[in-house]
Order: sequence, then structure tokens, then C-alpha cells
Amino acid sequence: MVQIAYLPPLALYVHIPWCVRKCPYCDFNSYRAPGAIDELAYIDALLRDLDQDMPRVWRRRILSIFIGGGTPSLFCPDSIDALLSGVRARLPFDADTEITLEANPGSADVVRFTGFREAGVNRLSIGIQSFDPEKLQVLGRIHGREEALHALDAARRAGFSNVNLDLMFGLPQQTPGQALADVRRAIDLAPEHISLYQLTIEPNTLFSADPPVLPDEDAVWEMQQRLQDLLAQNGYHQYEVSAYAKAGKLCQHNLNYWQFGDYLGIGAGAHAKISDPQGITRLAKLKHPNAYVASAGTPAGIISTQRLSREDVIIEFMMNALRLTEGFPAQLFQERTGLPLAVVMPTLKSAASKGLLSYDGQTIRPTETGKRLLNDLLCLFVPAEDTALARAPVTGVRTVDTASS
Amino acid sequence: MGAVSAFFRSFSCRPGLGASQGARRIQPQILMTRMRNQALMRNFSIIAHIDHGKSTLADRFIELCGALANREMAEQVLDSMELERERGITIKAQSVALDYVANDGFSYRLNMIDTPGHVDFSYEVSRSLTACEGALLVVDAAQGVQAQTVANCYTATELGLEIVPVLNKLDLPTADPERVITEIEEIIGIDASQALRVSAKTGAGVRDILEAVVARVPAPKGDAEAPLQALIIDSWFDNYLGTISLVRVKQGRLVAKQRIRLMATGREYVVEQIGIFTPKRQRVESLAAGEVGFVMAGIKDVRGARVGDTMTTARNPAAAPLSGFKEIKPHVFAGLYPVDSRDYDMFRDALDKLCLNDASLHSEPETSAALGFGFRCGFLGMLHMEIVQERLEREYGLKLITTAPTVVYEVVTKKDEVISIDNPAKLPEPSNIVETREPVIRATILVPPDYVGAVIGLCVEKRGIQRNMQYVGRQAVLTYDLPLNEVVLDFFDRLKSASRGYASFDYEFLEFRAARVCKLDVLINGEPVDALSAIVHQDQGPYRGREVVKKLKELIPRQMFDVAIQAAIGSRIIARETVKALRKNVTAKCYGGDVTRKRKLLEKQKAGKKRMKQLGSVEIPQEAFLAVLRVAEK
Repeated sequence: MVQIAYLPPLALYVHIPWCVRKCPYCDFNSYRAPGAIDELAYIDALLRDLDQDMPRVWRRRILSIFIGGGTPSLFCPDSIDALLSGVRARLPFDADTEITLEANPGSADVVRFTGFREAGVNRLSIGIQSFDPEKLQVLGRIHGREEALHALDAARRAGFSNVNLDLMFGLPQQTPGQALADVRRAIDLAPEHISLYQLTIEPNTLFSADPPVLPDEDAVWEMQQRLQDLLAQNGYHQYEVSAYAKAGKLCQHNLNYWQFGDYLGIGAGAHAKISDPQGITRLAKLKHPNAYVASAGTPAGIISTQRLSREDVIIEFMMNALRLTEGFPAQLFQERTGLPLAVVMPTLKSAASKGLLSYDGQTIRPTETGKRLLNDLLCLFVPAEDTALARAPVTGVRTVDTASS
Repeated sequence: MGAVSAFFRSFSCRPGLGASQGARRIQPQILMTRMRNQALMRNFSIIAHIDHGKSTLADRFIELCGALANREMAEQVLDSMELERERGITIKAQSVALDYVANDGFSYRLNMIDTPGHVDFSYEVSRSLTACEGALLVVDAAQGVQAQTVANCYTATELGLEIVPVLNKLDLPTADPERVITEIEEIIGIDASQALRVSAKTGAGVRDILEAVVARVPAPKGDAEAPLQALIIDSWFDNYLGTISLVRVKQGRLVAKQRIRLMATGREYVVEQIGIFTPKRQRVESLAAGEVGFVMAGIKDVRGARVGDTMTTARNPAAAPLSGFKEIKPHVFAGLYPVDSRDYDMFRDALDKLCLNDASLHSEPETSAALGFGFRCGFLGMLHMEIVQERLEREYGLKLITTAPTVVYEVVTKKDEVISIDNPAKLPEPSNIVETREPVIRATILVPPDYVGAVIGLCVEKRGIQRNMQYVGRQAVLTYDLPLNEVVLDFFDRLKSASRGYASFDYEFLEFRAARVCKLDVLINGEPVDALSAIVHQDQGPYRGREVVKKLKELIPRQMFDVAIQAAIGSRIIARETVKALRKNVTAKCYGGDVTRKRKLLEKQKAGKKRMKQLGSVEIPQEAFLAVLRVAEK
């Protein structure tokens, strides 16, 4: 029986599904932008969508807003202003609540950024990926080295004091030297936060259909270690698999995901996770933008509503919380899942005996090995498969057709 | 509807009434109790090499006799197991009852009993042949006589069957019937001057074959009024119907509702249903001396109706059982273990059912330190082993590990005992062994002259001793003594590539001969893995050791820590490889909406782990256990 004593913090995710062009590695729900996007129609749909979700989170404050995509910076500042005003009218949140918007260096200019700032956005996340013109081209990015270098400057001049840069490593034919140069350049720009992702080939992407040659496992591992050292030496503290921040500049919104907090999700293909005292519900919205705009705010706009089972809750909690470099306080498990820690104790012990995890009575955290082999650690929490009895076909060895006369 | 009309058709042309086309109008009910005239019955098999057109020919017969409507004629009706179709081979005997109106105006009941073509299943062939009075020897007129055909033909001759030679594929431009006739006469030693020339593909000459069957194959004999003796040719298990047996009635009569006794076990059952395959299953009231059909008698125990046993009636039993079949000795042994130990009971059950269907499959429980509880199974050959594993996995949903197959060795100990070793783990300490003997076979290889050099080279490499070589027609006939373990390893594949697929091969067991062999052990992280041990020839030990560890290195995935793989002979380590530890296995991105998708990836990874066997802390994939075998593949 799930019993959630205190409802967890609540965040709001807003999805803007369009990009100038789809990148070959990207598996997010994004679409090449048509000639002209009807931004206001989409904002309207977002607010109708939010209205429909409101009863599920009545009277709860939100601690962060994240406008992601796609490329939300394609939208003009007025549209973002309309969106945030609409949200403000519906949900209570403090003046200093973290409001992040994802931006592309290609669409970065001071005027535009200033507009976002005035609309209420107080954190920018800029998708640099690399400063190397050759690598940017391989990654199908629309911006070049110069735009990458100037994006942060534009953000600063627009008044942003909290900026994240997204970077990737393990790029096709990348040497450790090239990867180091990229990260060093980023550090020189002194953002508050760096998200450093290893490039992986995801299913249903252009790269998975036509895979580029990536550096081998050992080379990537060497790269990662040197990059981690470099970031640490420069005051970027790693707090998650791919997230590094200056002191006090952790991304509140993402941290909420990893601590298994609640979130509303509005926009095409957005997902939500909402707790109530008896359990946890997941919602998913229609993926295609046109269909979404047409039915947002009606029951047809929600393509799935799933009540999580015990097994679901356990694995999903672990998939998030064990990403945190410092792990999580033991009581967080019961707080967020509504299940006593005892239900995972045997698995925790088995993980500890394999050297993947440590538990000192207060904090549960992945060991160095556990962080490296997080998927192996998480597999321990995946429910066991059935035996042959369940898999066996129902019919016999040779089925003889029934004779009739 | 189709089934019903076929039902009437088959009864309406019952002989004994001077059955002719006209007899079809007679009401079937009246005919039920009548006896079929043995003079109008023919039981025959087809002996053919793989790809020589047996299945196509069988389909033509079925078509010609109108047993199935066209829409029911799935390609090649007889190969009913999914596996058989995929591999294009026949494994199990099948029978079809056909009603054929011959040129003499009489309608004959032809029982065609299929035979497997692969050397591994020669035992099945002899069972099928026992149920017949004649056999068609089908030879590809382009390819000529093949070794297994020769062996099967000898079996048929020994059983006193009338052999009707048929040259197939006359439509091929490369067909050379005169040469093939010479080959049949010189290699097999039967008169082929009257050989029929046909094309199963085009249908040309197919009717002539059935005429020849009627004219040349003797009608079955046996007194229908004598006490019942019915030979079980094949048995299989159906979850709904219990055991179904294919029988040949030698004398007496098998009737529904009759109380029967199985002479080997003495157990009695009541016949629930008897019938024939047309090829659809069709009920009949009785099967009399000379007939072939199926019997269901509510036999729930899968071992209840062993192949080769004799059925008789409980009230008036026969004095003695039929001679049955000679006990077949498996040549190749391997351990079979469920990947998931919870599947053990299910596995045992499945193996029981398979043994019923396959008399040549032997099994005995065994335990392995590495793999837990399983069975040591005896097979006729490698293909047989693969088929059994595949059937267990497909038909019963089991996931199994097969250890490297081994042949049976004879060991003479210091105490002067001779013991049989079917498992490398059981090989005594070298200090206790006086002599080890390995099984040797006598192999017959038929190959076009162009490839003789390559084939001889292969035989020499495999420690073969040439016994004979002669040229017949356009083929060379090579006779070699070969150690069986060399043949088990990869001989078939190597022979195929050495001869571009033109060589054919057959063998029989010859004797045990002293040999210098030793046990090759494999250690994973310092621990010997009994399931990976193999008995190898001393000269090949070091080479095989190096190859095995190399192969294992490819097959064992990187894990959390370094995995050391070593090969050892006695206490001497002869090779070592290391599988380096996995560097990382982390999903780079995971945010709110991703959870469901990322979770699927984890589930997939976990399912992948399920197919691996945990040895200590090392996960070993199923294929690794056959690595010892694969080393010679180049």
C-alpha cells in the first residue's frame, strides 16, 4: 500500500516542439518548424492544457519552470511573456522561482534575450554542444564557432546571471585533446552551469540509421575522466551524471526530477508526474504539434494516464535518484514513493555486495563503480522476468487438427 | 467441409468390392465393416538425399491422388515441423494414405511413409522402412548417387524391401541419366536398367512411379484373423490428446474401443481413436494386417508408448512381440542445462516428451558445479543435437545451455576396469589410466574427382586412415577410418567447403582404438568450469587451448571487473586472455518525460542478462559453452 505523507515539490515543464532543423542525434519530440508558427495559438493551447491539469495540483506552489524543446528561443519574447503571464494567473510561485528557457546560439541576440529576461525568464540554457566548426557540422547544428562564442556574451548583456551551456563529448573522430579544448573554452566563458553529455546513438534518429564512427569505449572513458578533472579544478561541482555547477547554481528544475519530485508537463508530447496521498500518476500529452493544438485542454489531449504500480515506483525512483553524485537521504525513498525502505532492502544489500552502492544508515549513494555502471546497478531494481512456464506456448508439441465427421 | 468429403472418398473406394471408379456411389456406412483387400495395398518409402526432390515428389503424389484440395496444398505438405521446413530437411517419419486408381482400373491404397535424409537420422529411416514392403530410390539425375542414399538403400535391402530406382530432375540441362544409372549399379549394386525417368518439378513421369509401386512393390502379408501385432513406428505427445502413435499392423486387427496391451510394459489401455493421415487426420473404424495408421489410447504417460514396442489385444494377445528395432547407441554426448534453474522441472518434462518421440535421444540427470542441475543427453550427431535444443527452446519456451559435445571414450584403469566416459569431467586422473580408447568410424565419402585432393587433405588433417579409393561413373568413392571426435567437431562443414558442397558422407561405428588424448580445462577467474572442459588429442591440446580462450574472449561481454580466461592441461596453464572490465554503462540523459523509454532500455538489458549464466560473479552467454567446438571454424 502506497502512503505518501507529504506531497513532494512541484515543477512545471513547458514543451515547445519546433526547431529550425532536426539534429541527427536528437531523439526528443521535435519537428522542423514550418514557415510561420502560429505562436499565440500554441500558447493558448498550452494554457488550456494547464487549465485541465490544474485540479490535480490544487493550491500547490511551483518551485521551478522549465521551457524546453525543440528550440523555445524560436518563439518571440512576447509569446513567452504571454505564456508566463498565463501561468502566473493560474499557479502561485515566488518572484525568485527558477525559470529556465532553452536557447540556441543561432537565435541568440541581445534584443531577443533581453525580451525573454523582461518576460520573467531568469535562467538560460544554451545548446552550444561544441566550439569546433567541424564537429558542429557533423552534429548538424545550425550555428558556427563564432555564434557559440558570442551566445553567452549576449546572455550576459541581456542581464542573465544564471546560464547553462550544453556540451557534448565522444563526438565522431574526436580526440581527447579536442574534447578538452571544447570544455576549456566553455570554462573560459564562465557560465554558472555546464551540462556535459556523452554523445550516444539513440534509436529513431538519423544517426541510428546511419551511424557515425565514434571513439571507442576506452578513449571515451579517458576523455570523460580528464574532462571531469578539468571541470572540478575550475570549480564546477558534478552533482549528476552529466550536470556540473558552480556553488549554489544547481539546476533546481532538473534536481527536482532526480529527487523524484512532482512536475506538470504541458505542450506537445510533454509528460507529468503527480503524487497524491495514495499514489503516483503519470500523464502524457499528444505528441504531434497540430493534433496537440487541436485537442489541448480536452480529455483527447491526454494520450495516457498511468497509475504507477509498486514495481514502477521503485525502479523509477532509483532511475532518477541514483543519478545524483551524492546519492540521496534514505528517508527520501519513503517520502517520495510512499513505500517503506524495507521493500528495497534486499536489493540494496545485493547492490552493496557487488560494490555498486553504499548505505551508511543515512545516505544511499552509488559508489564510483556504481556511477560508471549505473545501468547495471539499476537493472537490479528491474522486476524479474517470468520463468519458462509463463513463456511456453499454450498448445502442444504437434497440434493435430480435429477430425470431424 | 473438405474433411468430410475426403472422409467419404477414402471409404468409398475400399477394395474387396472390386473397387473401381463406379464403387464410389455405394453408401459408405455399408462399407465400414468390410475388410480391405491386402492385394490392393502397397506400403512404401522414399529414399533420397537432401535436395534430391523427395518432398516435391511426395506433394505430386498427394496431388495426383486428389487427397487435398489445391488451396490446402501448402508447399511440401509432409515436412510438418516448423523446423523441418526452415532447414529443408525431414526429421520425423510421417505417413500419408493415398487412394490411387491404377491403369488396371483398381483403386489401390498406397501408404507412403516418409524418411529423413540426413545421416544423423539414419535410425529413423530404418524404422520407416520396417513398415514397408518397398522403397523408391530417388536420385538426382544431375548430381548422382550420394553417400547417405547408399547407406539407406543398404538398410532397405537388408530388410528385404523391393527397391524401385527413380531418376529425378530430368528437366535439368545437366541431367545425365546414363552416368547415374552406372553409379547406382556400381556403387549400390542393384539393377537400374529399368530406372524411371521423371521430373517431380514438372510432374513428368510421376504417374509411372505410382504404376511401378503397384506393379513391383509386393502387397503386405499377414493374417488379419490372427492375434494382433502392431509395431509402433513413431509416437508423439499432444497436450490435448495425449500420446499418439503411428503403427504398422503386422497381423490381426486394431479396432476402436478395443482393449490393447503394450507388450514391453504389459500395461493396458482402451483404444479411443484410430485413423489415417490423408494427410489430414481422419478417423477409421479399424486397421487390419498390412495397414498403417495412428492410434490414440489415452496414454497420458509419455513413456507409455515407446517406439519399437508391439501392441496386441488384451483378450487374445499375441504369443510374442515383434522384433522391434535394434537399440541405437548415441555417439555424441552433451550436457543440457536450463539457464534459469527454476525451469528445471519444466525442462525434465519437455525432455521426457521429446524422448518419447525420438527413441535415439538418451538422457540422464547430471549436475555440474558450474551449471547446476541438468541432463547429460546422447545424440546421434551434431545436427540431431541442434535440432533437439532448438525444439526444446521453441516448443517449450525453454532457455538452455548446451555444453561442448563429446564422444564416448573407453578408459582402461590401473584396476584393469574398462569404463565409458561420456563427460570430460568424469575422466580419471592421468595416473590412474592405463589406456584411453577413442571411437573410430568407417566413413564413406562420395566426391567428384576434382575435389578428391582437398577431401583427402581434410581426412589426413582429421587423423584419418585411408582404407579404399575407387572411381565410379564421375565420382570417387573414398573409404576412411576416422576418429569420431574429429567428425563431431566440424567435419561436415569442412567437407562441404572442401568440395564446394559436392561431397556426400556417411559413416558407421567401427571400433574403439587406443589414442593419446588429454583433458583440456578452462578456468574463468581462476576457477575451473567443468562445463567447458573437453577431451582433445594431445598433439592438438595447446593449439585448441589457445583457440578456445581466444573464442571465449570474443563471446564473453565486458563486465564490472577484468575476467581472466585460461586454458590448462593438468596443472599447466597453456593460454590466457583477459576480457577488460567494462568502462561505463550509463545513460547520458534522463529527465522527466524520458523515464518510460529509458526504463524499456533497462528491461532489455536485464532480459539480455537472463540469457547468460552466472558463474560465480561472471556472466557467461549461452554460446560460450559451445566455443570449445567452434575453435576450428576459420
